[in-house]
Parts: sequence; C-alpha cells; structure tokens
Amino acid sequence: MKISFSVNGERADLDVEPRRTLADALRDDCGLTGTHLGCEHGVCGACTILIDGEPARACLMFAVQVDGASVSTVEGLQGTDGELHPVQEAFVACHGLQCGFCTPGMLMSACHLLDTKPDADRETIRAEMSGNICRCTGYQSIVDAVERAREGMCVPAVRDSNTAAPWGATFPEE
Amino acid sequence: MSEDTVMAEDSVGVDDTAAGAGSLGRNVRRKEDQRLITGHGRFVTDVELPRMRHVAFLRSPYGHARITGADTAAARDAGFRVFTGADFAHIELRAQSALPSYVETAQPVLAHQKVRFAGEAVAAVVAADRYRAEDGLELVEIDYEPLAPTVCAWEAPSEPVHVEAPDNVLLERTFDAGDVDDVLASAAVVVERELTTNRHAGNPMECRAGVAVWDAADGKLTFWNGTQVPHIARNMIAELMGLPEGRVRVIAPDVGGGFGVKSVLYPEDLALCLMAREMPGIPLKWVEDRAEHLLAATHARDHRYLMKAGFDAEGTLLAVDADVTCNVGAYSVYPWTAGIEPLMAGGLLSGPYKLENYRCTVRGVATNTAPSGPYRGVARPASVFAMETMFDAAAAQLGIDAIEIRRRNVITPADIPYKMPSRLVDDSGHYRECLDKALEALDYDGVRAEQRRRRESGESPIGIGVAIYNELTGLGRAASAGPRMPFRTGHDACTVRVNPDGRVTVLSGVTSQGQGLETTVAQIVADAVGVRYDDVDVRIGDTDESLWGFGAFSSRQAVIGGGAAHNTAVEVRKKIITLAAGLMEAAEADLRIEDGDVYVVGEPKPYITVAEVARVAYLESNRLPDGIDPGLDATTFYDPIRGAFAAGVQVAAVEIDRATGELRILSYVCVEDAGRAMHPQIVDGQIAGAIAQGLGGALYEHLVYDDAGNLSTGTLLDYLMPTSAEVPDMVIGHVSRPASNPLGVRGVGEGGTLGPNAVLAGALRDALGIDVDELPVSPDRVWKELQG
Repeated sequence: MKISFSVNGERADLDVEPRRTLADALRDDCGLTGTHLGCEHGVCGACTILIDGEPARACLMFAVQVDGASVSTVEGLQGTDGELHPVQEAFVACHGLQCGFCTPGMLMSACHLLDTKPDADRETIRAEMSGNICRCTGYQSIVDAVERAREGMCVPAVRDSNTAAPWGATFPEE
Repeated sequence: MSEDTVMAEDSVGVDDTAAGAGSLGRNVRRKEDQRLITGHGRFVTDVELPRMRHVAFLRSPYGHARITGADTAAARDAGFRVFTGADFAHIELRAQSALPSYVETAQPVLAHQKVRFAGEAVAAVVAADRYRAEDGLELVEIDYEPLAPTVCAWEAPSEPVHVEAPDNVLLERTFDAGDVDDVLASAAVVVERELTTNRHAGNPMECRAGVAVWDAADGKLTFWNGTQVPHIARNMIAELMGLPEGRVRVIAPDVGGGFGVKSVLYPEDLALCLMAREMPGIPLKWVEDRAEHLLAATHARDHRYLMKAGFDAEGTLLAVDADVTCNVGAYSVYPWTAGIEPLMAGGLLSGPYKLENYRCTVRGVATNTAPSGPYRGVARPASVFAMETMFDAAAAQLGIDAIEIRRRNVITPADIPYKMPSRLVDDSGHYRECLDKALEALDYDGVRAEQRRRRESGESPIGIGVAIYNELTGLGRAASAGPRMPFRTGHDACTVRVNPDGRVTVLSGVTSQGQGLETTVAQIVADAVGVRYDDVDVRIGDTDESLWGFGAFSSRQAVIGGGAAHNTAVEVRKKIITLAAGLMEAAEADLRIEDGDVYVVGEPKPYITVAEVARVAYLESNRLPDGIDPGLDATTFYDPIRGAFAAGVQVAAVEIDRATGELRILSYVCVEDAGRAMHPQIVDGQIAGAIAQGLGGALYEHLVYDDAGNLSTGTLLDYLMPTSAEVPDMVIGHVSRPASNPLGVRGVGEGGTLGPNAVLAGALRDALGIDVDELPVSPDRVWKELQG
C-alpha cells in the first residue's frame, strides 16, 4: 500500500505491506533507527513516538495507519543548529540515561508530558512516565531530568504539528 | 581523594568545567550521551548491510520431548533457506569445569534428538525480512514425543534432563570450615528456616541480537553481537567453528543493557555464525523479540536454602549449616557452567559476618526450564536474604535489637584482611560505618517512634528492613579461581596511543552496556597522561581493535580494565616525558604534563605541547634523541590478583496496606563503600539502577512455569518490571575508602541488587511479626499472610 506522511517535518512516501508495523517502517524504510523496539507488545514504551502530537507505541501500529499524519521521532528533537532540546540536555545533565535504549521513548514521553502538563510535580512525573520502562537508572535520575527540563522549557516543545519541524527548533531564550 | 563520608550529595548536573584540571572524581559529560540522546546510537539492531537477510528461530512448544522428525520440504519448496539441528549436530556447547563433582553435559546449537525446555530453538529460517522468515517458520514441521518434564529443582525427576546426570545434579560441592555439629549442639539458640527465592530475568531493554557475515575471500567471520564479552565470544566461536582466532571478529557496538544475561555465548549466536558460513557474503541478522527473550535468554535466582544458624546468648553467630539448591535450568550455561550460582551462593553466604564454623552444601540441578545464567548479583540477592533472615530470627528469639545483633557480628576494619570461611578475603570492613550512616539517613529512631505510635493507633503498620552485604568485585586470578573453568578472568589489556596531532586514542578491552566505560576510561587516561578529557577518544567492543578484555561481569571493569588503562597511560606519560626531556635537553624529573602541555617545574608557561612531542615521535624522526624509537604508545595488562570487596548497607521503612497487601516504601537508604568514585553520577546511577532491579525482583518479578514446563509469564504484562511509579526516590550515601589498586576503586555494578530481597522481607517481618520464607513479597502473598 502506498502511504504518505510527515516525519519530523519531512514528507515520507512509502509502499508498505499492510502488516508492516510503523516501528519497522520508521526504522528500516525511513532510516530513523532512533525509535527502539523493546518488547513489540506495547508494554515497555521504548518505541514511543508522537502522532499528530499524541504519544503512541510505534510497535502496536501499522505503518498504513499514519497515512496523512504527522509523526515526530527522537531524531527531530535536536535543533537544526545542533543544539539539544532542553529535555535532551536535562537527561544528559542528570544522568537520565545509561545504556540509552529506552531513552528515545523516554524523551518523547517527557516532551509530551511537559507540553500538556507544564506544571507537573514530581509525583505526576512519576505517574506519567510510568508507561516507559528503564532497566538501568532506577528512574530517580529520569525524574530529576524531567523536573530540570520543566524548569528550562519556557516555550512549548510542540508547535503546530502540521508545520515543518514540529520538534526541536525552539529553545528557551537565554 | 577525600576520606570524608559523603551523604546524599547533590550531584545533579554535568560538571562541564572538568576539562583541564583533572577529570577523575567529577561528573564530566558522558562521551556516550550525544549519540544516544539524539537517536544516533549504534545498536546491533541498527546494523544494515548490503544483501542482508533475516533469521527467525522455530522454538519448542514442549518443556521436554523427544524429536522424532523434522520436515522442512514445504519451507524449502517455498524458497526459504532452512536449518535444523541435524545441520549442526557435530558442534555442541560444553561448559567445562575441573571441579570433581561436575557432570559435563552438552548443549546443541539447534536441538535435535530431544528438547529440554520450552522455547529451545529447533530450526532457523532465512528470508528477505523478518516477516517472511516468520512466514517460513509456519511451514516447518517438527514432530515431538513428549517426555515428563521437571521444573522444580528440589523434586525428584521422573525423566532426567541429561542422561549423564540421572538425578539431574550437575554439580555439588560442600564448603566446610570449623566444627559445625559440635558448635550447633552447644549454641544458646539455633534458628532453622527453609527459604525459597523467585525466578528472575535480567531483561535488558534491548533483547539479544546478532549480525553475522562470512567473508569468503579471507575466510573470515564478522559478528556484530550485543554481548558483554566480545573477546570470550571470539575465543569460543573460533574454537567451536575450527577457525583461527584472528579470523573471527566480534563487534559489540552500543549494547542496550546486559546485567549478565549477555555474558553468555548462546546457541542462537553460534547458529547465526554457522549459518553465515553456509551462506558466504550474505549478512544474516537476528533480532530477538521479548517473547523469545523471556523464554530462552538466561534466568536466575530460582533457589532453595535450608538454613540452620547457631548463636550464643549475646547474639554472636557461632555456626551456619546450609544446604543450597539452585535450579540451573536445562543446560550448564556456556561458558560459565552450572556452578555459577551455587558456587557463588556457597562462597559468599556468610557475607560480611564473622564466622568460623561453616558448612554449606551447594548443588546445581538441571530442570526443564530455560538455562540459568549470570544475573547482576549472581546468587547473592538470594543468599543475603537467607543470611539476614537468620539474624532477624535470632534477634527475635534472643530479644536483641535487629540492628544491634548485626553490629555485633560484622567484620570491622580491625579484622581486615578478613579470611571468610570460604577462604575469600574481605578487604573493606566498613560495615558499621555504613550502617551508622544509613540509619542516620533513615532517621531510625524517628521511624521506630512512628512504628510504635501506629501500633497503638491501629494505622497502617510500618516496618524496618535491613541488609548488610559485601560485593566481591574486580576478581583477579586468585579470586576468580572458584568455578575451575579452563580460563581465569583476572586480567584485561589496554592500549593507549598518542596520535601525531597530540590527541589520544584508547583501545580498551572493557565493554559497556550502559555503565559509561567510554567516559570512565577517558577520564582515567586523560588524568594519567596529562591531557584534556575532551582530547581522549575511547574505542571499545571490537576484538580487531583492542588486544584483550574479558568483558563486563563480576563488577570487574572499573578495577581491572580501569587499572589497565591507568597503568598504560602512565607508561605513555613516561614516554612523552622522556622524549620531551631529550628535545628540551632538560631532566625528566623536572618535567610535568598538564592539559596537553609539558612544563618545566617552577615555570609558569609550558615549554612544549604534547602535540609537538607526538609530531616528532611520528613524523620527524630526524629530531628523535638517540636511543628513542618512533611512535608514542603502550599496551599493558593488569591483574589485581585478588579482588576488592565493596561494603554495603541498605535500610528501608515500609508501610503495609492491610486491605490490599501492598507494600509502600516510605524511605530507602543505601550506603556503600565503593572506594574512590571516579564519576559520582555514574556510581550513584549504578547503585540506584541495581536497587531498582532488586526491588522489582523482591516485589513483582517472577518467572513461573506450570507443571508441564510451559512458561506462564511470557510477556512484560506477566513479568512485571518496576516503573517510575513503583521505584521510590532513594538516598544513596558513600563511605569512600580507597581500595589497594591503582585507582583505589571498588566495583559498584552489582551491590545494589543484593539488598532489596532481605530489606523488604525484613520490613514485612518487622511490621507484622510474620515469617517471610518465600519470595517475592507480592501483594497477593502478603494479603494471604494477613488473612492468617
């Protein structure tokens, strides 16, 4: 099936089997290997991406389901000038990642959380981030990172999802 | 290095000022993070090669069955390449040990004749992509004749797993010291318990994966593998495939967690390599999914402890008599053997406690379950639970405070070096200090007061749990002798090169699955050579690049790989000084190197840069002083001979919901003597991550087989790993006593997992006055206990 969608602001035209998962289409057909697969049954959250601004498990969706949609992945977070998104910077600063395998999903979940609940307190962060499993950190540093990013994010991370580069190009003014 | 005790310091935030003034001890920005945070990590799954094809494995639906037939005609007719056990029947994995009682058994590459656990690979299909490969599996027919399965290691088998071991016992050993029987007979109190621990999986977020390609031109195999042990893997693969070691290259790129599960050479790994040799020039890729991982990657900690401990009236531990049975699963895990858990349990059961009379029989028993292997903490999360249960029981019986009885029995600095009854030598001894700090952080007296108040008011009860443990880390050749395998894992190598531009490249034998070894090794080398952290590049995980390293296990790399990096970098610094002295006509003793500049002592400005010295070394041999060869590099090995013990104490206050049986952790404290912390964030991250795994294992994680040998917890909806909603904020403190190795470090990767079983079981016991002899302490189990 032929599908077209926007991924990180760029148009993707694919011809996929109906059974092809969105995760495989992103990773193998679009070359966006930052989206990781940790369980392929929708529990671990490593493959979390945003579709039209809403978080979704790429492993539980077929590629054909995003025809016409706007997809954001971890690769779109970094600014075109190379500067890290505040959430990325906070994860580095707080040691919010060790092996880095769950990290792309964590980042996408954290961005969505801070966009929708910019005043999230620590308890809310723990509850909201519980859809993403990390086996390395013990979570404390991830919660620290999301709190730190919350302080640093003066502007929404998601802009109009139909415009180019919905992620990452906007940073707090220093 | 500060000798001060550091409690819960605020270490949040990368220390970007680190470059320059020495990087060790600072939270320098991790070298790994930029690629991992931007989605540009390089995991095996991400390897994409021309002509690549994909592999799917067919797995046994039976726990125990004879294979009576294999029909692959339909799959072959449909155009699939198919391999079955018969294709590789001449090769088997035989984990070896020279221990007298060890029964050597074989593990097939792909099962033939019979299957020994549900999920064992019996065939493989190669296709253009994974979807089609799985289509191909549907066309392969394997005929089975079911046999009686055994899933419990302490029940007699009706049909042995291996003919070589009719009783399923693959290994049995008795540790014996002093006079246990007489001392127990005269003890004031003897406590006795039967304790069982639940079956865990390490479950790294990245499952196993491999890409193998056979280069027919050179007769060379290249294998990208998410392994913790690339050099061991190369050694084993070369031996098993009859190849020269130099023609096997194993590459472990970014690896998404390991925790021991990836320190094993699996039959699937070997199958992939053997299939690649059959298909020259075609890269073969296998990416394990989670369902396969839960079925067929190694499990751990399925143990039973029959414990007897004698104390005098003052609570002094006099003797321990123990019988430990470990379920080692269907195969003696390669290359570590079925001894990995039982021998660790027997060697370290007495932990940080002084003990002279000790008898402990350990055995590894085969069953029709997935093989057990190394998992972070290896046996000690279970053995610490067993030992701490003895102290809690004795304290209750003798009317002594549970903390006080431990304080009376732990090894102290005055006892160091302390020879444990298993003859391991403890070199830390700072248990009391760790305990004091931990209790202070917990507000022990405050929690006790609250506990009394609640008992009177009838509110939800709270309890305090405690675990004291010693983590044997960085095992050198003497300490790694236990399992009597045909290799000793005491050493690692490191190469340090100053390049002609003055930047440094390190080819280290360490590997990393999240522990930040690229960063730590760069810190070590930068400081020892005298260059900036940012000017050091570390390359790891490729057997064609680094000379030798055993890899990541036994919390060994900071001590051993780090020691090798330090010693090698010191050699290189000496060479820079010698060459600079010759060029400057100065005395070597007057020169020092800092931030890539060479100074004459007392002079404020540098005389020459390391880059200028390096340029001479490689490009201007005409300027080389007499007697100095070109080049600026060194390679050395390091072996600490013994090990370094890391002391640790964990305490927690836990609230129990009588209505639901749920445990709520009110506060959790860990204080460790992890020696010198080279990167405090990484050290605390290791401890916090290990505790989280331990909490998951104590509360939720439990692999359950039914009587027919089917794994009934085959998804992450059944095998529950803790999330940010369950793992509490923890307080992590340090008593940093440098160990006697080049960097003063103690391993820190595993200790955190050792405490939670004992802490949560102890807290439950303390809160409700009930015995907790079976793990996990899941809400349903607690609730049942509460119903009486």
